[in-house]
Amino acid sequence: MKGILKIALGVIAAIGGFVDIGDLVFNAQAGASVGYSVLWAVPVGVLGIIVFAEMSGRIVAVTRKPNFVLVKERYSERLSLFTLVASLVLTCLTLAAELGGLGFVLNYFFDVSVGFFVLVALLVAAAVIAFVPFGGIERVFGYLGLALLVYAAAAVKLDPSWSAVGQGFVPEVHGDALHWYFVVGLIAAALMPYEIYFYSSGAVEERWDERDMAVNRANAIIGFGLGGLLSVAILVSSALVLGGAGVTPESLGSVALVTQVPYGELGLLLALVGILFAVGGATIDTAFSAAYNLAQHQGWRWGKRFQLVREPRFTLSLAGFLLLGFAIAQTGVDPIELTEYAVIFSIPVLPLTYLPILLVGNDRELMGRHVNGPIARTLGWAYFALICVLALAAPVLFVVTNGGS
Amino acid sequence: MSSRPVALLAALALVVAAAGCGGPMRADELSRSIDTLASAAAEGALLADGAAQDRTKATFTRAHARELGETVEHEAEKLSDATANGAVATDKADAVELADRISQQLGQLQTAPDDRAGARSAGDRLRALADEATRLAEDAGP
Repeated sequence: MKGILKIALGVIAAIGGFVDIGDLVFNAQAGASVGYSVLWAVPVGVLGIIVFAEMSGRIVAVTRKPNFVLVKERYSERLSLFTLVASLVLTCLTLAAELGGLGFVLNYFFDVSVGFFVLVALLVAAAVIAFVPFGGIERVFGYLGLALLVYAAAAVKLDPSWSAVGQGFVPEVHGDALHWYFVVGLIAAALMPYEIYFYSSGAVEERWDERDMAVNRANAIIGFGLGGLLSVAILVSSALVLGGAGVTPESLGSVALVTQVPYGELGLLLALVGILFAVGGATIDTAFSAAYNLAQHQGWRWGKRFQLVREPRFTLSLAGFLLLGFAIAQTGVDPIELTEYAVIFSIPVLPLTYLPILLVGNDRELMGRHVNGPIARTLGWAYFALICVLALAAPVLFVVTNGGS
Repeated sequence: MSSRPVALLAALALVVAAAGCGGPMRADELSRSIDTLASAAAEGALLADGAAQDRTKATFTRAHARELGETVEHEAEKLSDATANGAVATDKADAVELADRISQQLGQLQTAPDDRAGARSAGDRLRALADEATRLAEDAGP
């Protein structure tokens, strides 16, 4: 029973981390703009995050060290500081986008004002962080985020050409820059740095040890695999509903509209509830990730497993990042544009995030019998090479395609 | 990792971005702008279909129609402010007028999301306007 409950960590990381505002928008835009031809990028990204999440969870179980402690140990002081600053900037932008997105979703339910609901979202997120135990946060947001499964049902009900969907999983040579922009964006959205920071720090919060190896593996595979399934469902249903009507989705409302077409008001409400809890979970993930990174870099005591009032520096940084995200969201910046920038410009930071995990995972002296096997080592280096290629390609594609428009 | 490649890429991005600023509007820019109008009109038609069939939530229809309307108005302002020459100027004027008509239909949805007959009529008009915008974007394209 305890093992089953622990799998919730993977589920929230998947629903509230993997399927965040960036995934929702990028998958819908990709489906509407270029159709099924980029579907293969989803499993590529999902396998990458599974490989590195499993590795980082295993490292925590053996060494009790979360990702940013590895960054500090393996990099020079200057590079470690650069990685910290870059990750904080990107995580805060993502946090602002998630808070802004929550404002829009709540406004679809009550139609008062987006700005007012961004404030409500901030207060609710702060209250949840302060008063709900870590396990409770996982379960509430992870399980209610499962309402997004309505996209899987919608994809089936819309009756796509399954052979065309199947062909989408086979990569093809393409000369269109927009196609490659979405390929890079879909892979990057799966590998957003804050996901791995949250996963490894969450494993410390859950006090994983060597007995939790099976739970770690199940979390990574089930959690992120489920996230990948949702991504495919959103992409396919958006291709049919939005792409078929000539719509390029520019807001979360466009993404929600997709399920209204096959299922009417019930479909719309399920999509809105799923988006609300997925984006809400991601808001909390990103706030924690930023505070975790800063505390781990500075060597402070950190974590929700302790009483927050007894960790003033960690608690203040958590509050500070939430307020910073709120301030950015309240400037009126479009959360969708913000999340697109955050996804694309997180790519150059990806190698710095993932290299320490790979180095420690391959270190037999530290990892003992849990060192990376030949499959994990080969996949790890292959993905690291891919991440380096993406890091170079992403900014160029962003400029060439005018931000995917 | 050296910061030099990152700085070079950022500089390249700025140069390319700067190259796209200033001067009269180009055909590809106008076409992209009209595509945005066509997309908003097509999405408005989907939204109107839900309202006409009573298969949606009124607050969603109102709030999302407002968002789409703001997108259209923003695009119309950008078009109005831009300078253009020759055929681009003519298409630009057509696009501004089209944006105004799309905005009116979205306004109908925003004002009366529960009016099923009004939504049906707005949906039909928005679909026609989306087709018109698509044709105009093709004509205006390079």
